[in-house]
Amino acid sequence: MAPPGGPRPGWSRRAQYGLFFSFLLAVAGLVIGLVLLALSLVAPKSYASVRGAALDATAPVTGGLRAVTATIGGVFTGAGNYWDAAHQNAQLKRERELMLQRIIEAKAISQENRELKASLQLREHSRSPVASGRIVGSSFSSPRRYAIFSAGSSDGVRVGMPVRSAQGLIGRVIDSGALASRVLLISDRASIIPAKILRGGQPVISQGRGDGTVDLRPLEVGRNPFKRGDIVITSGTGGLYPPLVPIARVVRLDDDGAIARPLADPSSISFALVEQPYEPAAIAEEAGSAADTQ
Amino acid sequence: MVRAALAQKRNIGQGPVSGARFVPAFSVLIASLLTALPIISTSGWYPDFGFLVLIGWRLLRSDAWPAWWAAPLGLFNDLVTGHPVGFSIAVWTAAMLLLDLADRRTMWRGYWLEWIFAALMLLANEAAEWRVAQIMGASLPFKSVVPPLLISILSFPIVAWLVSRLDRWRLGR
Repeated sequence: MAPPGGPRPGWSRRAQYGLFFSFLLAVAGLVIGLVLLALSLVAPKSYASVRGAALDATAPVTGGLRAVTATIGGVFTGAGNYWDAAHQNAQLKRERELMLQRIIEAKAISQENRELKASLQLREHSRSPVASGRIVGSSFSSPRRYAIFSAGSSDGVRVGMPVRSAQGLIGRVIDSGALASRVLLISDRASIIPAKILRGGQPVISQGRGDGTVDLRPLEVGRNPFKRGDIVITSGTGGLYPPLVPIARVVRLDDDGAIARPLADPSSISFALVEQPYEPAAIAEEAGSAADTQ
Repeated sequence: MVRAALAQKRNIGQGPVSGARFVPAFSVLIASLLTALPIISTSGWYPDFGFLVLIGWRLLRSDAWPAWWAAPLGLFNDLVTGHPVGFSIAVWTAAMLLLDLADRRTMWRGYWLEWIFAALMLLANEAAEWRVAQIMGASLPFKSVVPPLLISILSFPIVAWLVSRLDRWRLGR
């Protein structure tokens, strides 16, 4: 049977025209949406101020509620720690003994390092953080991995700056409002980080997989250099990320690389730091390339 | 309507709540705002709540809002969820138009058909998201959209039930 001639709301001309104009407006809305989408793909900077304002509007809610979920999560992990406490205690004591030895060794090495650097007259980059804050939220439902960070341009945060915590690298800033900013996590597909293996220093590339893990690929083709449990750190190449920041630990090998889990889990870290780009010259360059990839 | 009139428990003298026209759109805004919850997802498998509620309303009633309201609702969703601006405007308005077309082409509508339409809409939404991410330099294999797609298809009946309760509340049934 042929379909009826359209949704007629009755004999009222007014109702019929109303429906028709609503249809025209919807088509116009579709066209406007496509144009805006094309614009935000070609020139992502064009909406920076609107997106920053939206971040500022939702950030206080997110930040306030974050304390509640952190407390609830802490109660559960706290209860879990009492389970098997005696065994844990013994293990921690053993680890502490080992750590004390390592600390003394490390102190000696760092002193030697300072002397060697002084003799080479290397210029030290000042590594004072720009701002500190908390990761308060994240993107829920997209293949992209973003997090909301609780410091914004009023604290000096600018687009392109690297974000790290004590455990490791988190990502870099891609949108900044006055009170909050959006961080591209290292597990996002578009974040590509020059890195090296801590064990041998072999250069590798870390690229996110969009599901909370990262893909590691060696720069030189050949034998797979990874082992399970290897730690990967930033190499400082490119000048955006500071060198020697831990990134991830290898959990699985595949044919020519490895899959690793970031050491800084954005859902459990308490504080994160925004730093200056390692090489000041990288700021301008990165601002341009962030616009391209974003 | 007839069935509601024949039901045992009738709320005589109880009309629609004030502002009943705006309840559907308002509920979509609230659903979009769920992303402001301080949950940090490392996998990104949560459903797109705003879009789920939008198609939940549209499949329940064709007159929940004029079709063009999807554009401003989509703009709000883009701004709070961090999608590229214009993405939800285009996808949500296209979903309204496609479901208008589906209303004209289908003779009978049942529960399963509505769920299939919802699944197709969610698939289109995920695929568009995947394609836009690819253009923006984050090209993932297509199979990475399967888990979030399954989760959102399975959560559609819950959303549809919530929407129908909300509809009965706003109309005072």
